[in-house]
Amino acid sequence: MKSGLVLLGAVWLTACGGDPSPPTDAASGDIRVGTALAADQTVTRAVDAMPRSLDPSLLTDVEAQKVTDDLFEGLTTLGIDGNPVPGVAKSWETSEDGKTWVFHLRPDARWSNGDPVTAADFLYAWHREVDPKTGAEYAQSLAPIMGAMAIATGHAPVESLGVSAPDPLTLKVSLVSPTPYLLSLLADCFLMPLHRATIEKYGDDWTRPEHMVSNGAFVLQELVVGDRITLRKNPHFWAADTVRPTRIVYYPIDTIVQVSRFMAGDIQFSSIFPSDQFRWLKSRLGDQVVTAPYLGVTMLAMNWLRPPLADDTNLRLALTMAVDREVLANKIRQGVQQAAYSLIPPLVGYEPQVPEWAGWTAERRHAEARRLYAAAGYSAAHPFRMEVMYPTDEANRDLYDAVAAMWRTNLGADVQPYNEEFRVLLQDLRLHKATLFQNSWIGDFPDPFTFLQLFQTGFEQNFGGYSDPSFDALLASAAHEPDNGRRYRYFEQAEVRLNAQAAYIPIFYYTCRHLVKPYLKGWQLNIQDRNPSRYLYLLDHQGG
Amino acid sequence: MLKFLGRRLLIALPTLLVIATLAFGLLHATPGGPFDSAKQMPAEIQRSIEAKYHLDEPLWRQYLRYMNDLAHGDLGPSFQYRNTSVNELIRAGLPVDAWVGSLALLIAVLAGGLCGFLAALKRDTRWDYVPMFFAALGIALPVFVVAPLLVLVFAVQLRWLPSGDWRAGEFRYWILPVLALALPYTAYIARMVRGAAIEVLSSPFIRTARAKGLTTRTVILRHALRPVLMPLVSFLGPAFAGVLTGSIIIESVFGLPGIGRYFLIGAINRDYTLVVGITVLYGVLIIVFNLLADLSYALLDPRVRLQP
Repeated sequence: MKSGLVLLGAVWLTACGGDPSPPTDAASGDIRVGTALAADQTVTRAVDAMPRSLDPSLLTDVEAQKVTDDLFEGLTTLGIDGNPVPGVAKSWETSEDGKTWVFHLRPDARWSNGDPVTAADFLYAWHREVDPKTGAEYAQSLAPIMGAMAIATGHAPVESLGVSAPDPLTLKVSLVSPTPYLLSLLADCFLMPLHRATIEKYGDDWTRPEHMVSNGAFVLQELVVGDRITLRKNPHFWAADTVRPTRIVYYPIDTIVQVSRFMAGDIQFSSIFPSDQFRWLKSRLGDQVVTAPYLGVTMLAMNWLRPPLADDTNLRLALTMAVDREVLANKIRQGVQQAAYSLIPPLVGYEPQVPEWAGWTAERRHAEARRLYAAAGYSAAHPFRMEVMYPTDEANRDLYDAVAAMWRTNLGADVQPYNEEFRVLLQDLRLHKATLFQNSWIGDFPDPFTFLQLFQTGFEQNFGGYSDPSFDALLASAAHEPDNGRRYRYFEQAEVRLNAQAAYIPIFYYTCRHLVKPYLKGWQLNIQDRNPSRYLYLLDHQGG
Repeated sequence: MLKFLGRRLLIALPTLLVIATLAFGLLHATPGGPFDSAKQMPAEIQRSIEAKYHLDEPLWRQYLRYMNDLAHGDLGPSFQYRNTSVNELIRAGLPVDAWVGSLALLIAVLAGGLCGFLAALKRDTRWDYVPMFFAALGIALPVFVVAPLLVLVFAVQLRWLPSGDWRAGEFRYWILPVLALALPYTAYIARMVRGAAIEVLSSPFIRTARAKGLTTRTVILRHALRPVLMPLVSFLGPAFAGVLTGSIIIESVFGLPGIGRYFLIGAINRDYTLVVGITVLYGVLIIVFNLLADLSYALLDPRVRLQP
């Protein structure tokens, strides 16, 4: 308790010395003057699995992204609400056509070894990301930048990337087309700056704690594979005086085990909890159980290259209308997930394109589904037979058993759930072997395009081989539209086209779900489920 | 003796070769590769990654390369944990499993052995019924039930012990995982020792010893103990190899940074080198501990001769 008082004094100091106007809004991450903080500001968090790499260019997993969000900072960075705010760039301007952006870097941005962060560090990192020799699996994240794809596919030299550094504090970026989500993209790990001298000196070993130089709020202190990743506060971070946690410990813990570790007080912020424990947890932990929409959708996609689903709109409509999504969301998933009637999860400024039948009563919807099913030529004597393929998972099995039961009861169709291990299923999808299959998609950035491109002709993850020239034309119009409002209207029209054809069967929108100790503050759940540690702080508390 | 050892070690080499070859072949035959993900990368980048890990070479050449490295003690780079070698992963994880596993087996042998022997001596009394009831329960209850139960009681409700995590050198972090791992082994050993002891205690040479007028203590220590230990030793060989390579469930429930989980995670992620590496390690341990078990037979039973 004694040291608790000392830290309270320290808060006073920063609050008074750093900023003449006392902060007032707890939700923005600022702490009210007089708030009693815990003496030990060590925040313990869980990730679902051990990150596979902490190299921002090479990583591929959400877990690693959470850790690099704390270690590095891009031109923009995430605000407490997940929206982009100025990071290393303090300001920027855009050309009229939205295709050229000029970023002005803050002069006080520093690497953890004290070196200044310059435009050349971004240039180096971005060149490294798109260079095929680097082997960056997510190099396509830079696709909006002029020349990125030509370089990544080996058709152009690395130097041809549309980015330049006229002086150490200015970065000029040329885009293929206006990209309103660029500011979100710039906060992603793939566009974070890298310390060239360190990487050139240590090669692949540069991500080890003894070598890593980073520019975020924290630096890597310790990494034990399978055990923990410890970060400590970066004293050279330009906004270090606003960062409360002195240490962050990430524990890789399996989903089910996170619950017991949280209840025992070992972790303060879980990365997830099993959806089938939602009600039990809520009754025991109350407000410590938090959920919010997450930028992801689970749907059933279908093969457009061969019958019977490809050539029969009535059949597809019948199937999608016969699914009782509210039952799936509320009974099978205990109300954790949100029933989906369309493709795109809730996004600010985007009008959800929900089909009319979504508002009907179950009886009316089932009756219409049966009528369409019969019109497609199916009956009790001649039922629709199909396998629905999904990646092996206990929760998925319950879900598709229920979906198959709904189709059997509501239509008389004979659909058998069939599961394959994820990588095996992926291979089957690439070979277009599956006819009706689960497709879950988490958006790369908060924009409808990341979902709609799943139906774009020739897109690699368009596993069903869907192709509609009018739909593609709408996406192309959106791509050249600098005004985001008008751009969203094109996307809305595109989604309406998909829905009219029942080109997919939406099931759920994802939710992010966490267990959070009541004394851990400085977080806001957001659609990208990214909660940077730099805003977190611990209130004074007794025990766990 | 030396001839016996030499011969056994010579046989071990082709055995290991077969194990490594089978593991290598089966993993490469599984659909999907280590760098498959829902997002498909440009072919140029894929080629560059495959070249880095030699996945672009024909399988026979990958096999020869792997076997050559293996012969030099190099288990290769992990495919899923970039910039980390399988040797490093095993070096970091094996001591944790070895420590927890050895302690658990030690407890199991002492507690299980004592209970089993006592039960045999006091057959059909409460000294027999009570421990054997719990032994039956211990065998019937799977670790994935026992381990979370221990956490629930001692970490979540009573808050006496940490629910997980690992700090080498800190006693309270070992208690629950060691206990959870020891329970089924204790139960099994208790039943095994009881069975063996009953058989030995009713055999003619014990009757002779008693008839000679030896005290019960002498009969047990000098005559009965060694034959009772025989089945235990043959059980402990492979059991030891098993606990050294870690328990997937114990490791995930208690967050132990051991190597058992790598086997599962590695297989799911097609981390070829990691899975083959751990399989080979397991093979080596099985061979070594079986050899040790055979050697201890000779010590326990004067009739056993180690035939080369």
